[in-house]
Amino acid sequence: MPISMPSTRYFFLVAASIFTVALAGCNANQPIDAGAQQGVPATPSKIASERLVGRWGVAAYHQDSARQRTEAEARRQCSNPYTIKAGQNGGVLMHLADQSEPQELFLKGSASGSTYLGPAGMAAVAADREIVAISDNSFTIKWVSPDNSSRYGTMVYIRCP
Amino acid sequence: MKIIKLQSLCLAAAAAWLAWCPAAKADPADASDPQVDMQIDDQPGYQPSAEEEQLAGPFERQIVFFRTTEAPGTIVVHTADRYLYLVQPNNRAIRYGIGVGRDGFQWAGIRKIIQKQEWPDWRPPPEMIQRQPYLPRFMAGGPGNPMGARALYIGGTVYRIHGTNQPQTIGHAVSSGCFRLVNADVTDLYDRVPVGTKIVVKQAADL
Repeated sequence: MPISMPSTRYFFLVAASIFTVALAGCNANQPIDAGAQQGVPATPSKIASERLVGRWGVAAYHQDSARQRTEAEARRQCSNPYTIKAGQNGGVLMHLADQSEPQELFLKGSASGSTYLGPAGMAAVAADREIVAISDNSFTIKWVSPDNSSRYGTMVYIRCP
Repeated sequence: MKIIKLQSLCLAAAAAWLAWCPAAKADPADASDPQVDMQIDDQPGYQPSAEEEQLAGPFERQIVFFRTTEAPGTIVVHTADRYLYLVQPNNRAIRYGIGVGRDGFQWAGIRKIIQKQEWPDWRPPPEMIQRQPYLPRFMAGGPGNPMGARALYIGGTVYRIHGTNQPQTIGHAVSSGCFRLVNADVTDLYDRVPVGTKIVVKQAADL
């Protein structure tokens, strides 16, 4: 019985299928931040980075009803504070989500008036946090990435004495 | 010949992509032997699907034959077997699959439930803060919270019976001494058990 050789088209189809499956497999388990990855052009921040420097009690919540309680808990966490230092280039030394080492992050303004905190460059990218409220003694952030936001919630920082 | 080389290149590149793609690799924490300790961290914010929360086989909640001298209403934990029993009349018990303390974090004793809490808050343990310094030191209770939907506080200890957002850890030794159930089970137990309930924690069943 003659054995026919697969056509060239067959080989390309197989290769293309493997690529497609591989790409789908990767995407299936990684956060999709379609809009957030691109971000928006950063403008100068209206918030000075010095305002973030210091020792902070940190707590988080997922539901607005827990906000007040979370703020009180953040205040109680000053025995184990999160320390933010000034960076060498005008930013602040903080951790990105899931990174064990701090790096210099920058406050970035945007045309919409929102302020973001993250690596230099575009604003509102997946690695960024948005500063949703700030006063002399506290600030509140929301993660831009839905995945980070889901895991870490809205985080409240209360300045420690 | 050129076409064959191009075909080989495509397939080789596809294979290389598959090998690199992190999501395509098996999860090393996916232990299949329930008696083996599982190395897994808490996953704050993770919300399991209904399918993930549905236990099957021996760890599924069920009524079993259970001979004991303990009175109905007593909680009996068999750590080695990864079961929690709620004693019922007529030599029966409701059996729940649980996750237990990892090596060095297991304990035994007779205590009482002193407090109950819906959607308890979570405080990451110090070693977790050390590894992930950016973590909040407190996370308000709610879906996705590692403490799960309910907690029963065990008097005279720092331990609790609580829910979990990691149903895959049921049947494993993963905790710091607490007993974890899937959220549906801990809610069922919570509704059946009043404050003051006696709890007997054993390493293994009496023979």
